Amino acid sequence: MTTGTIGRIVDFVLSPHIFAPLIYPGLLAATLVLLTLIWAERKMTAKVQLRYGPLYVLKPLGGAIQLIADAIKFMFQEPIMPRNADKWVFALAPVAMMAFTIIPFAFIPAAPGFVGVDVEYSLPLVLSLSALIPPLILATSWAANNKFTLLGGVREAFMMVAYEVSLFIAAFAVASYYGTLSLSKIVEAQSVPGIILNPIAAGVFFVTMLMTASKLPYDIVEGEQEIVAGPFTEYSGILYMLVMGASYMELYVLSLVFVELFLGGWKPVIPALASIHPAFEGISLFIKAYLVLLFAVFLRSVYARYRLDQALEIGWKKLFPLALLSVIWSLALLLVAGGA
Amino acid sequence: MTSQGSSEPRASPYFWYRLMGRDEEGYDVYELFIGPQHPASGHMRIIVRLDGDIIVDAEPDIGYVHRTMEKLAEGREYIKNIPLFERATIIDAANITWGYVRAVEQLLGLEAPPRAEYLRTLLAEINRIASHLYGFGIAGIMLNHSTMFMWAFGDREVWVQLAEDLTGARLTHSYIIPGGVRRNLPQDFREKALKAIRYMEKRLQDYERIFVKNPVIIARYVDVGVIKADEAKRLGIVGPNLRAAGVRYDARIAEKYGAYPELEFEIPVREEGDAMARLLVRIEEIRQSMSIIKQILDKIPDGPIFHEKYYRMLPPKLKEFVESTGRLKLPGAFIRLKPEPGEAVARVEMGHGEVFYHIVSDGSIKPYRVRVITPAFRNVVLYRYLTRGARFMDLPAIYGSIDYFPPEGDR
Amino acid sequence: MAEDVYKPGNLLTSLKRHAAAIATGLRYLLSTKRMTVRYPEFLIDLGEGYRGMIRWRRERCISCGLCAQICPAAAMKMYKLPGEKKMFPGINYQRCIFCGFCVDVCPAFALEHTPVHDLSYEELDEMIYIPERFDTEWVSPALKEGARPVKVVFDEEVGLRHEPK
Repeated sequence: MTTGTIGRIVDFVLSPHIFAPLIYPGLLAATLVLLTLIWAERKMTAKVQLRYGPLYVLKPLGGAIQLIADAIKFMFQEPIMPRNADKWVFALAPVAMMAFTIIPFAFIPAAPGFVGVDVEYSLPLVLSLSALIPPLILATSWAANNKFTLLGGVREAFMMVAYEVSLFIAAFAVASYYGTLSLSKIVEAQSVPGIILNPIAAGVFFVTMLMTASKLPYDIVEGEQEIVAGPFTEYSGILYMLVMGASYMELYVLSLVFVELFLGGWKPVIPALASIHPAFEGISLFIKAYLVLLFAVFLRSVYARYRLDQALEIGWKKLFPLALLSVIWSLALLLVAGGA
Repeated sequence: MTSQGSSEPRASPYFWYRLMGRDEEGYDVYELFIGPQHPASGHMRIIVRLDGDIIVDAEPDIGYVHRTMEKLAEGREYIKNIPLFERATIIDAANITWGYVRAVEQLLGLEAPPRAEYLRTLLAEINRIASHLYGFGIAGIMLNHSTMFMWAFGDREVWVQLAEDLTGARLTHSYIIPGGVRRNLPQDFREKALKAIRYMEKRLQDYERIFVKNPVIIARYVDVGVIKADEAKRLGIVGPNLRAAGVRYDARIAEKYGAYPELEFEIPVREEGDAMARLLVRIEEIRQSMSIIKQILDKIPDGPIFHEKYYRMLPPKLKEFVESTGRLKLPGAFIRLKPEPGEAVARVEMGHGEVFYHIVSDGSIKPYRVRVITPAFRNVVLYRYLTRGARFMDLPAIYGSIDYFPPEGDR
Repeated sequence: MAEDVYKPGNLLTSLKRHAAAIATGLRYLLSTKRMTVRYPEFLIDLGEGYRGMIRWRRERCISCGLCAQICPAAAMKMYKLPGEKKMFPGINYQRCIFCGFCVDVCPAFALEHTPVHDLSYEELDEMIYIPERFDTEWVSPALKEGARPVKVVFDEEVGLRHEPK
């Protein structure tokens, strides 16, 4: 009896509907990515800058659990609510932001046939779920009722329209080549990595990914030197952790999509791992996504910040035509190759 | 919870009217107070009025670190003012005290021996490099280029270490005193300095790759905060900011002090007058300073490092100590230097620009009046003239490029 | 000299510059150079000439008071010791700026600098050294707790190298 119950529970947890959103690539893997990625970012930046970076929290591993210490600190920090803030929006927007970065994991296929909810339109669904975050950033900036947050909100509003369009078009350029909007079908159809087939779309997607997650050189919304922390100026404690974590989660979601669109997703599959659990087949997807993430955060030590108008110019005058060009490229490929 | 905050009608249109002031000309402006509690304000406040993303007016509000240095100087003996003025620009201590010492030497009718003048020039150039690297780092972090910040501050350590070998202190050298300098050149200084120069030359190439020629920096700096020669002259701008606007003026040439007349160096000048020109002028000045240091190490004459008038007062035992260790001993009479009544002015080129001293002596052991005009104080006006019409995000770029140092401006 | 930053760049030069910046970053990412000296574990040995904490030797002091007169920060003061006719200097490290004028003016070599610079105090009163306490040997607390002293060496490749002593 008991083994049967436990077995059923284990089966339930290991089934894709639960395993994908909760464990991998969902919540648990995302938390792991969050903790290690920020640490890796700090370590890499420190390395380039001839420093050590986090070191003394678990010294044998080079301060690897620094982020856990930071998280504990944030948990116990007093969350300060500004007197003039719109309290409900101020408190709930970061939570909603985090939620909208986690929901896409239910639709991102992690391994062949392994997805929480298998829908035909997973690509637009994932992208539009992550497109829900900018309005929430606007909401926080308005709710905090501070001059710096308002300016940050205005910047986010400008940036959002500049990058979302190109992001969607670049993604659809790939989808139009394969003739499907399902991420799993795109991966299955990819015999040659998409980055070779359509490098323009890959470049546009990568740059807009940086813009979406406001990573350097596009961390304009949080521009510390002008507007302190942009929309997040008034946040402290656990709410701050949520808003900061959300941008990394968003980056993780988009890098998974990037790998599935352009780097062959979970291919090559290692069959030996599949016998343990189907989710393990996605290990190469995870590794590739992590490398993309590492490169994205490494850019922090190379670049400064673009000005808002320059970023908008890049978004509208360079990335947008390039995104359109990538659609034409895909169509031309279709004509030449006669379909995938 | 039910008090003031929640009872305010947030949604009413008056909210915007309260948020946005209106300036005299009827513009809708968004007034923003940058500093003094702000990640990128320094010890000052900039009151910015924005029309959309365009800066209508930026008003530098200085004085947060004013320490009444000129008044304090009136209450101290001449030699005790050296550590005081050092603290105006702690990153460029040799140059800022040199101006004071030159004025005091004029009052006393002293002249430092040639070797001392060379040593002063040596420390001044080391300080100039360190000061430029400091400004470089600040300029980097103002654009959120943290690598440039860390690199420049880390490489500044090399020069700080050289200065420490020479003087015994990292920043507050108090090295230049009326009549000479306090320490002789250490034995292995030449090799160390040459190694530091070769290292720095290599690093400047890396700076160029990751910062100066980085397309993001080019986008942020070219044609930003432009000031032209006639405007710069009218406003009385000094230092690299002036030279980047195309005016070939440098107190080292104009005043011919120290060992500079005997050394060969160029004054880098650029015509563009924008933030990038100011950056490039500073880089070239670092190169010129390194060439000056090389020349000094080759040309430095032998001889005393302290004026005979005071050195004579030392007992033989102390003279022996000075000869053997290279560390100067001061005679007791040095505490109460007593110049004739009169006035003296002196100017010296610091890393940030020209510093000007005017000392009035009434014949007592303390100065009657010391007036010091620091380069940062003369450059602070740039905030107003460079930012007008610029984008809001240009403000930190301009701040970084003019190398303003609040404690120096406030004194 | 970076003259060509003013030339209007085309896509190719721009890409080349992006690549150069990223390559420089990667080069440093893969190198093993470090500037940091991890202080409580390592301590830079500052050597002879450094102007650190000041050591006073009572047996040499001739009570001339020049040190107290020259002190720009009024940190050095002359104290009268019980049972002594002469006055002796004491120092207040709340005020001392380590300019070293007192050491330079001392005609009897009773004052000298030590390389010790990293003392800290829990109470302000502890920072005032009356003559009885002033005549002590300074020991760096980091060294006492087992810091390894390192020597600063100038190097063409890494600027400053910190070699274990």
